[in-house]
Amino acid sequence: MIRIGDVLVSKGEGNVYGERMLGGARVWDPFRSKLAALYYTGKGVELLPGMRVLYLGAANGTTVSHVADYTEVVYAVEFAPRPMQDLLEVARRRKNIVPIMADACRPELYAPLVEAVDLLYQDVAQPDQAAIAIRNCAFLRPGGHLILMLKTRSVDVRKQPAEVFRETVDTLAAAGLTVQESVWLIPYHQDHAAIVCTKPGGIP
Amino acid sequence: MRSYWFGDVVDGGCIPSGGNTEALVRRLHSLRTGMDDFVPLDWEDALTCGICRDRAEYLSFLRELCFAAAEMEIREQYAGKDVELLQMVRTLDEMDELINRLSERVTEWHQVRNPSFSRKYRRTPAHVLVKNIARGNKGALGRVAVHIEEFSAARTELAKEVSNRANRVLPNTSALIGGLVAARLMSHAGGLLPLSRMPASAIQVLGARTALFAHLRTHSPSPKHGIIFQHRRVHNAPREVRGKVARALAGKLAIAARLDHFRGVPVPEFLEKAQARIDLLGGSEE
Repeated sequence: MIRIGDVLVSKGEGNVYGERMLGGARVWDPFRSKLAALYYTGKGVELLPGMRVLYLGAANGTTVSHVADYTEVVYAVEFAPRPMQDLLEVARRRKNIVPIMADACRPELYAPLVEAVDLLYQDVAQPDQAAIAIRNCAFLRPGGHLILMLKTRSVDVRKQPAEVFRETVDTLAAAGLTVQESVWLIPYHQDHAAIVCTKPGGIP
Repeated sequence: MRSYWFGDVVDGGCIPSGGNTEALVRRLHSLRTGMDDFVPLDWEDALTCGICRDRAEYLSFLRELCFAAAEMEIREQYAGKDVELLQMVRTLDEMDELINRLSERVTEWHQVRNPSFSRKYRRTPAHVLVKNIARGNKGALGRVAVHIEEFSAARTELAKEVSNRANRVLPNTSALIGGLVAARLMSHAGGLLPLSRMPASAIQVLGARTALFAHLRTHSPSPKHGIIFQHRRVHNAPREVRGKVARALAGKLAIAARLDHFRGVPVPEFLEKAQARIDLLGGSEE
């Protein structure tokens, strides 16, 4: 990851959402982007130039644009028409984003479009986030990584966030994934946690 | 055989799907991929297919397809006749709120400027008061009041448009409860489809969320009505039958919403019976 001093940045065409520039690079704000927050609070997964990424819950393309600065191609899946309009606008300028309008709960609908990926990133406000991630692991190459941004309040508002967190980690481990890292995104995002997993097999 | 966007991959070969972007989108929607023994596509199969010459071209074709598919999907979702009505009625409700709050604020301001001013023993409607403030004050206060007046005029126009459009989009629901209230019901449900899927009991208390959850949590009395209270049939009904009227009306509204969604035209034989049934319970009305 590229840092200027302590500040996380990405290199690419700026002014996507009014982000600050620093020495010609785009500042990646941890308070706005959960992935950026992960790079501040934990280790995360190093984004590399050759990487292929499947991004579930692309929303307005804010974080997507930063990921695309680092990697070879990003398959960005978003469901709602309103944010999709913004995502298309971002993808028009960034030629390595493939915008897919589909429901992340139904991978069979975009399966004919997506190749095997090195990184599966998920940030969706759904109750069954673990199940969605596991279903989408079909696209992950052996040895590839999953970053699940767990929105504990979307899973069940009545449960304690810590309990939801524990259950999700257990579910992912039970599905055969190796949990590498699990951290809360405090102080950047409340009740949000990041879980980094590896799909077993392949070259380590 | 495995089917991907660019073609069908068979042992040692590939049959390209061909056709223009539109045909590719249609084919994409027709594909049924099983996820149990799913093998992700290998872009080099597209080379074998003769679809593209290199990786850059592969991605560029794929992007073209995805853009077209997404744009079609967005257009389709926005083409629903209820989509614009939803925005219109929400704008209307927010304008109401804004006008009320601003009118109240400029009245307070006006009162400070005129220590002898009081609304007691005078039945000045709010809009007349705003007009007086607009006339009688120079500077920012007068200008703001003028703007509230203009805003109110725009609000009246919008209300008419909402009502007219609701009569077209929700003909049966509007016939029972009036265009404006019908549109508000739809807005609370989130659209015509979700409204048509709602049970009558949910429609009855739509817009009474706080009361409903207070009831579920603390066993306080259940709400008898939500938005449908705004209709004269409910609020003019004698207190003791109001719940009954609301329940009957909600029952008929649930049917009306389904007729609106699936048929989209007024159904006179249903409307006649429904009106008669509700009037019977309401007593004197009509």
